[in-house]
Amino acid sequence: MNTFAQVGNFALNGWREICYLSGITAQALFVGVKPRYWTRPVRAEFYRQILSIGIDSIGFVFYVASAVGIVVVAQALVWLQVVGQSKSLGALFVTVLIREAVPILTNFLIIGRSGTALTSELGNMRISGEVRVLDAQGLDPFIYLVMPRVLSLTVSVFCLAVLFVAVSFSSGYLCSLLLSPAIADPGTFIYSIFSSLNPVDIINFLAKSIIPALFTGAICCAEGLRVEASITEVPPATKRALSRSVRALFGISALVTLLTYV
Amino acid sequence: MHCRRQCAYIQPYAISGIEKAVSISTTDPGLAGKSSTHSPAVLDFRGVSTEPSAFFDTPLWDVSFRLSQGQLLLVRMERGRFRLPLADLAAGILEPADGAVEFMGRNWQEMAADYASAQRAKVGRVFGSQGWINFLGVGQNITLAQRHHTTRTDTDIEAEATELARIFGLPGLPHRPVSGARLEDLNRSAFVRAFLGQPALIILERPTRDLMPAILPPLVNAVRIARDRGCAILWTTSEDLVWRDPGIDATFKCTMFGARMNVVAEEK
Repeated sequence: MNTFAQVGNFALNGWREICYLSGITAQALFVGVKPRYWTRPVRAEFYRQILSIGIDSIGFVFYVASAVGIVVVAQALVWLQVVGQSKSLGALFVTVLIREAVPILTNFLIIGRSGTALTSELGNMRISGEVRVLDAQGLDPFIYLVMPRVLSLTVSVFCLAVLFVAVSFSSGYLCSLLLSPAIADPGTFIYSIFSSLNPVDIINFLAKSIIPALFTGAICCAEGLRVEASITEVPPATKRALSRSVRALFGISALVTLLTYV
Repeated sequence: MHCRRQCAYIQPYAISGIEKAVSISTTDPGLAGKSSTHSPAVLDFRGVSTEPSAFFDTPLWDVSFRLSQGQLLLVRMERGRFRLPLADLAAGILEPADGAVEFMGRNWQEMAADYASAQRAKVGRVFGSQGWINFLGVGQNITLAQRHHTTRTDTDIEAEATELARIFGLPGLPHRPVSGARLEDLNRSAFVRAFLGQPALIILERPTRDLMPAILPPLVNAVRIARDRGCAILWTTSEDLVWRDPGIDATFKCTMFGARMNVVAEEK
């Protein structure tokens, strides 16, 4: 096969994969808005996933958010004092954290903590025949396994991103008080944050939190359910899910930035 | 027939339902046609063949039979070839390479996905191998399909499940995680799940394994009650005791020979 054909194949396969994952995502949303699919077991599975992906990750996200707030403040104070803009801490927080860091970091944390676990779980369910058991009882694996996972991961990422913002801002402000007593009072700090926010920032934050999370859910579920027969297929599936989710996260984030700010 | 079933309900080992033991090909059109005169077919295999697969010990070749309401097909498997595609085909989760499988008069392959899922709610099954969702408790596993497909209250479903659990020798509806349950309890719980919700078809894949002989009387009685209300039963076994048990009162008895299924006895 010549180089031209290889490039073409690569592009076509990539395009097919994007269409496939977009299809899963769209189908999860389409099915998710229809109340008749939210039967008692599906609701229970959704809550179980919210607990597993969202609630159980709060401590982890809290820790990382606190550390990120402190790191950003430590750097910001140094550089803002250099340029004589100490009062612009709020605006800098909005630019660095809300626009870019928080959605990406939250998605990244959830991919590492829950996305890979989700792939392993579904892969093992395939091998042990549990997916077939569901199917044989008339529980569509897409409705019972995929849809609740995709939606709960998305809801969890969004809520954790909001938590991340709140915690990182709080820790950042407290840290700045310790490092530089001349810093603005809390009211001024909060006002500077809200006055720096504009509607595009909010749209950007929502898009960067929600869209990659939808794709992460779709990728991790698809990779898990692609496992056929052997337990040795699970680690490669998990690795593929991780790398594809990270690629999708950064690709979507870049695209959203280009669409909202350029 | 009804009287004989009632008698057997009280004394399951007293009456012989199958006396004929002749070898007939399942593709014999006479066999497929006979049951159709009684009542509508619940399950209809028409010249079904499957491809060899790593998931099964043997494929099927040109298998035809028709199970109407209240009929029971007992299939004896060859030694060491216990994983058959028969149950998956009957439940519509495996596509035949050739032929067609109809459930309640409709081909599984021609049903819309949602409709097929709803139809599968009418199929109870004791799985031949692992049949449990590990992240759910045993009780949740048992009631899962009913809670998904019906609007019955949880209390109602659990009351029926508890009653069935007692019939099959459990003290009540088990609530342990699957990983923490005893194998015997899981095997008994499988019956509760299969009979719950009055399904139209019950598939029993080697149901008595590890539970013989104690499980046979309650199982035979439960099968008899289910048949009396019109449920069709597909029962696979590898055990001589089950095969020869007169209380089972099978409508057809077939043996697997390689990929082919031969009828060896048919109810008069």
